[in-house]
This record gives sequence, structure tokens and C-alpha cells, in this order.
Amino acid sequence: MLCGPSGSGKTTLLRHLKRELTPVGTFSGTLTYRGQLVSSLPAAVAAGEIGMVFQNPEAQIVMDTVWHELAFSMENLGIPPAVMRTRLAEICGLFGLEPLLYKSVHELSGGQKQLLNLASVLLLQPKVLLLDEPTSQLDPVAAREFIMALQRLNEEMSVTVIISEHRLEEVLPLADRVLMLEEGKLLADAAPRLFARYAGSGELTSGQYYLPAASRLYLSLSPEADSAAPENIPLTMREGRRWLHSLTEGAEKAAAAAGSIADREDQADQANRANRANRANRADHAPSPKPALAPNAHARIDSVTAASAYSPEVPSTLSNRPDSAEFPAAAAPLLTCREVTFRYEKEGREVLRKLSLTLKQGELLAVMGGNGAGKSTLLHVLNGLLKPQRGKTELAKGRTTGLLAQNPLLYFSYDTVAEELQHMGSYAGLSPEGAEREIEALLEVFRLREVLQSHPHDLSGGQQQQTALAMMMLMKPDILLLDEPTKGLDPAAKDRLAVLLQQLRGQGATILIVTHDVEFAARHASRCALLFDGGITAEGTPAEFFSSNYFYTTAVNRMVRDWLPQALTMEDVISLWPASAYRS
Amino acid sequence: MNSGFRSMHPGVALLYYAGLLLFALLVFHPLFLATEMAGLLALLLLQGQGRLLLRGLPFILLMAASVALLNPLFSHRGAHILFYFLDQPITLEAVLYGLMMMIMLLTILIWFISYNYTVTTDKFMYLFAAAAPRTALLTLMAIRFVPLFQRRLRQITLIQRLRGVDTGTGSLKKRMRDGMTLLKVLLTWSLEEALQTGDSMTARGYGSTKRSTYSIFKADLQDKLVMLLLTVSGMVTLLFWLQGYGKLEIYPRMNNMDFGWQDAVMYGSFCLFVLIPAGLEGKEKWLWRSSKHSTYPSDILKKTGTRSMSYRSQ
Repeated sequence: MLCGPSGSGKTTLLRHLKRELTPVGTFSGTLTYRGQLVSSLPAAVAAGEIGMVFQNPEAQIVMDTVWHELAFSMENLGIPPAVMRTRLAEICGLFGLEPLLYKSVHELSGGQKQLLNLASVLLLQPKVLLLDEPTSQLDPVAAREFIMALQRLNEEMSVTVIISEHRLEEVLPLADRVLMLEEGKLLADAAPRLFARYAGSGELTSGQYYLPAASRLYLSLSPEADSAAPENIPLTMREGRRWLHSLTEGAEKAAAAAGSIADREDQADQANRANRANRANRADHAPSPKPALAPNAHARIDSVTAASAYSPEVPSTLSNRPDSAEFPAAAAPLLTCREVTFRYEKEGREVLRKLSLTLKQGELLAVMGGNGAGKSTLLHVLNGLLKPQRGKTELAKGRTTGLLAQNPLLYFSYDTVAEELQHMGSYAGLSPEGAEREIEALLEVFRLREVLQSHPHDLSGGQQQQTALAMMMLMKPDILLLDEPTKGLDPAAKDRLAVLLQQLRGQGATILIVTHDVEFAARHASRCALLFDGGITAEGTPAEFFSSNYFYTTAVNRMVRDWLPQALTMEDVISLWPASAYRS
Repeated sequence: MNSGFRSMHPGVALLYYAGLLLFALLVFHPLFLATEMAGLLALLLLQGQGRLLLRGLPFILLMAASVALLNPLFSHRGAHILFYFLDQPITLEAVLYGLMMMIMLLTILIWFISYNYTVTTDKFMYLFAAAAPRTALLTLMAIRFVPLFQRRLRQITLIQRLRGVDTGTGSLKKRMRDGMTLLKVLLTWSLEEALQTGDSMTARGYGSTKRSTYSIFKADLQDKLVMLLLTVSGMVTLLFWLQGYGKLEIYPRMNNMDFGWQDAVMYGSFCLFVLIPAGLEGKEKWLWRSSKHSTYPSDILKKTGTRSMSYRSQ
């Protein structure tokens, strides 16, 4: 697995490994494939044995029907028809593509398209598979499916997979090696647990971004994180929970023995002991699993009692999220839609069905929902771009909305960012001086000054999005409607976006985002809503909303819900955990 | 959807439609033309495409009727003058010729409907690729862009409206300028994506060796048999036509229609040619209808029933 912030050279590295796509420039050093220089490989080997799948599912597709797209790569290498037929049959069996075989490509969902791209590459029977952020444009469900397909290939066919990825929760535990790049340099090259160890010990703090929730929690909670043996660092949810069980169990035993624990040092000590106990358990585990099972079962009972003991106090301690308190429910409704029904065609399906939603002043409302649930349609209706067939959307008097669509490229029509902003300024009815001043201020906020003279298409995804957002801000909208703003962003860019959104809220903007990103919504929204079957089925503050969900919640919450049912983020847990340990 | 004639190898369909078009243009005889039209109509109706036919009917009839009416008004050749219309002689030959033209036009228009329904784009491209693989590949890739661009343009139009670019409002000049802007956005975006598509093509070895072609169509025994029948009956008809049969002379003077045995043989083989697909379609229809009504032919089910009972009784 390759990780690192965008612009760190992940794509460039991958493209060097694929001879046909080697970027233009000066190259030094050697690249070998099975001991042979990559540049001297025969064409068929270079194309067939090293396969590559890119980020954008749509742009990689060449033909218009599924079977033809699949056959395309084999046709290129001149494989005889009988062989093609067999390979096609195999791959369709593996990926379940048979029902789609005669479909037109544009009828497929994004996830299906990406699987098609993967299948098309696999038909050449590659030995090495290069993947450049293949799931960044997919929703979580499709992404997981894609990663599971990769896992099968890797484990069952022993295909070497080199993947650059931001979705670490799923990929990192599967990886054999993690490489971290930053500014073109290799910062780390280690097994996942060792990588987590580096990231935790302060040698590689920027690596923390790229760890799954379980490891991050461990590194920030466990007192011995700095000296922990790599094999103890949990990577998956299951390992994380096991560790937490052992932690609480150990704490309980120690508490019973010592009577009371007063300060944090003691508690740390205890956790140490717990961990040692844990390690001992594991040592037991290897020869005979029986004794190891018993303490686990015991711990579960303990944890239930522990949870019931302190859960009533949890809401009061959840004060690190200011939004819920700052903006009371009594705030004036800004945008309401009442029983809105919308469909695209007369005979079409009702995308929105009797949907009612209220957006209040100063909120950051996150609307979540599956693929094709109508999230983008809802935004278009709220913005007035689409007129619902029934129901009404009402905007408070004198207020305006600004929409940021999923694809920022739709906004650009001039050659430089500066021109885009100037034209937008004049459309917004600002005087040249006024526009100048506004743009200056926005450049500061959106950090676009250095790319002012670039072509919008040459920017990174995050910068394109910020440019489009800056353009919308020139219209001075009171309500911002953002469609999947975190799609394809690396963790650092997500944090920057969050800071930006809070800043805009501080200036009085009300924000509605539709997103798949549960972690982002849990961390930054003041209210969450779930769109399902054309209507809003659940809504509430993040704590209420997510803690009542079982599957649809953050990784941290899933891990700690037995002890801290309302804790959603790392910060929640860190602030709550010592207290709970103390109580138990 | 794909059954009967439509599910056959594209080569068969191509041969059939090419033959029909050739005969419609060559064989100038009302009986032959009417037969051909009847064959096509029967095929379409058996395929359940009456609605498709009905939709095109007003246009077809208008075209055909106008030819039938206009010919006698403009052509005054022929020996039998029926009457004078605005001092112009209307001859029997011209009227008959007009009617013949009408039938021919009707046949060709119905031919188009049937052809479009049976020979879909992918079948055509398959046949085309056999003749010119590179051009076919390019054409296929280009064809994909038409609906893709339409969808993209719709998105762009929607979003650009947010920044005042709207072809629906403003002066004509502004609208035209806005239209150009929309196209420019579409073009930049699509070129950008095309670069990625190009990468994906080279990554998958495009142009590295001579391409082979994968085909989803396979010719089975029935395809070959029908192909043979069509060829033979078509050749026989053509040979007789070359001998001068199956031609009706109207101009300059209408001859008596004499229908000898040669004409009869020619007509017979022509009928065979025209009606094979309709026959196949009819067979298919009958197959499904009869299998729906008849009971399950095998009695395996009954047997297992008794066997299990006897087993239990033991």
C-alpha cells in the first residue's frame, strides 16, 4: 500500500512502474521487472503482465457495451477468439458480471464501472496490479466490494497488488507492506503494524493520518504506546475491541485489588498491567485456545456492567463538540421543504417522496444516504434548479443559496482561476473594486493565491473544489449546499475543508452537505439526517443519530460502543476514557 | 426479445436484407413486389412489431400515395389515354407506373423498418468490423460519445446556470455566446477525460500487436442451412431475371401479362427467399404456443413420486 498526501508523488511512482504511462521528464536510476529492465521488456509483457487501474471509473472505459469493453484489452494483444471466450467466462464467473454482459456501459453504477475496469485488466492475466486511488470516486459500499475483490485476487491468485489509497480502514489491515511518500521521498517502508508503531512513536507523526481507527485509538489511549511491541498494535475493529476488553478487564481487577485509584499515573500503570496480561493471554492462545477464551467472555460481562454504570453521565461530558449547545433548536428556519415529491420523467421513479426537511440558521446539516438515494437531486431541488412536482421549498426572505456540485469541473469556463473569479464577481453584480476586495479576501481563506494564474483543469481535486466554492462565495450565499465535498480528498485536505467550513459558519453561513463520509459528518456536523426511500427517515445531533445506529456509524463508535455508546470520534474517546477507567 | 430470425447470425440477416433490397429495385413486377411487401409485413407482425409499423405508417402512406398521384400528372407517355386533366393527357400506363412506384416505395420503407429492428448497431458493427476492423473500432468509440456528450451537456447546462450562463434567457447575442461557453466547457472537460481514456487504452496494450476480434455471434447449423437456402433461391431468382423474366413492360406501351412456367419457377424461388424468415419466426411462435398448452412431455416426475411412495411403504 502506498500512502501520503496528494501531490506526494504516488501517481508518478505508479506510472513509472507501468512503462506505457511513464511520465515525460528526466529519469535516473533503474527499474526492473523480474530482473529485466522495464524499458527493455517486450510490448506484450509490459502491457499484459503489469496491469493498471486508475482513479476515475468513467474515463477509463473505451467501448460502449460491457462485453466489448472486456474484450478490448484481449483484442489489443491479439489473443485468439477461443482463448478470449474462455477467459471472459472465467472472469465473469469471478466477478458476477454475467448479467451485465450485454448492458450499455452508461447504465452501470460507479462501483460496477470500476469492477469492469479491474476485470478488463485482469483478462490479460497480470502478475502485478497497479491501482491509483481506485475507490476514491466510489461510495463506501462499492469501495468495500472493490477492495474485497482485490483481496481475493491477492490471496487466491497471489497477484501482487500495489495500491495507493486514502481509504485505510479497509486496506491497511490487508497490506503486507506500507510505503509512505511525502514530497517525492520515501518516509517509511514497513509492515502495517510496524508502520503504526513508527507513526505512534513520534518518528513519523504525519503517518498518524493513515492509520485505521483501532490503531489510532490504541496509540493515543494506551500508556505504553511509545514502547508497544508492533504485534500488539490493533489494526482491525476486532483486534481493537479485544484490546479494549482486556484493558477494562485489567482495570477492574486492579481496582478491586487496590481499592481506589486516584490519579492518571496509577491508571496508566494499570493499563500497563492490563496489556501485559493481554500479552500473556496471547501467549496462552498459541498452544491452546481454551484458556484464552474464558477471560474474554468474562470481560464482556464486565463491560456491560461498566457501560450501564456511567452511561447516564455521558452527554454532560460530551462538551467538546460546541455546535449542539451553541445553536439551539429554536433558531429560525432558513430553508424548509414540505412534502416534496420529485421525479425526473413522467413515467420515472419518485426520487424524492413526500420529503420534509428544515434547515436552521447557523447549522451544518449532513444528509447521508446510499447510492442513488436522491441526495444530489435533493440539493438541486433545494437550490431551485429543479422544480418538484408536488410540495414546496421555502427560502426565508432575502436569503440566497449557493450550490457546489460534485464535479467542480462543471463550473469552469475560462483559462485561469483569476479570470473565473473576476467573471463570477461581475456576474454577482460587484463593482470592479468591490470584486477585487472580495476576491482578495477569498484567496486568503481558500489559499488559492499561488494557483491564481493556473488553468482550473491543472489544479488538484481539492483545489478545484475550493476554486468552485470560492466562485460560489462571491455570490454571497447565506446557505451553502455542498454535494459530496470530501469525495477524493486526502485526510489532510479533508481537515482543511472542515476548518474552512467552520470558518464560514463562523461568518454566519448555514451549510448543508450531502455525504457518504460518516467520519466527516460525525466530527463536524451539528445535525445529521438519513435519506432513504425518498424521504428523511432519521435525524438528530451526531451523538443521538449515530449512537442509535448499529452499522451506519463511525469506526470509533463501533469499537467503543460497549463502553462509551455516545463517543463518535477519537477526541470523544480520549476525553472520556480516563474518567470511565477511573469509575470502574 | 431475441428469438427467431432476430437471434440468427448477422450474416444471414445481411444476406436477406441485401437480397430483398436488390430484388425490390430490380424486379419490376407487381406480383413480386407485393409478395416481398407481404413477406416483410408478415415478419414484422410475427415479431410483434405492429406498433412500430403503425407509428411509421402515416409518413409511409403519404410518401407512397403522393408518388402514385404525381406520376400520371407529370408523365404523359403511353398509348392508352384515359382522360384529360387541365388539358394534359392522363394515360393508363402512367397511372399503372405510378401505382408500381408506390408499391416499390412502400416495400422499401417497410424494408427499412424491418432492417432497423433486426440488424441492430452491434450486429452491423460486427459485420463492418469483418470488412474494416480499424474503422469499425473508431466508429464504435465515436458512437459511444454521442449519448455521453448529451448527458454531460445536460449537467453543464444545469450548473452553469448558477453563474449566469443560460441559453434560455437574455438577448440573442448573449444566448449565442452562452451556448458557445457551454460547448467550450464540454469540450475542455471531454478532452481532459479523453487523455485518461487514451492512457487506459495504452495501458491495456492498444497498438502493441495486431488486434484480433472477439465475436459474440456464432453461426450454428440452422444459420448455415438458412444461409444456403437463401443463397440458392436468391441465385435462381437472379438467373431468371437475367434471362428477362419477371419484368413488366409498361412504357412505351403496356404488354399483356403472360405468366409462363419460367415465371412460375422464378416466382416460386422468390417466394422461398422472401418467406424464410417469416417462416422461422412463425415456427418460433408456434413452438412457444404449443409448448405452453401441452403438458410436460416426460413422466419422470410421476415416476419419482410413485417410487418414493413405494419406498416409504416398504
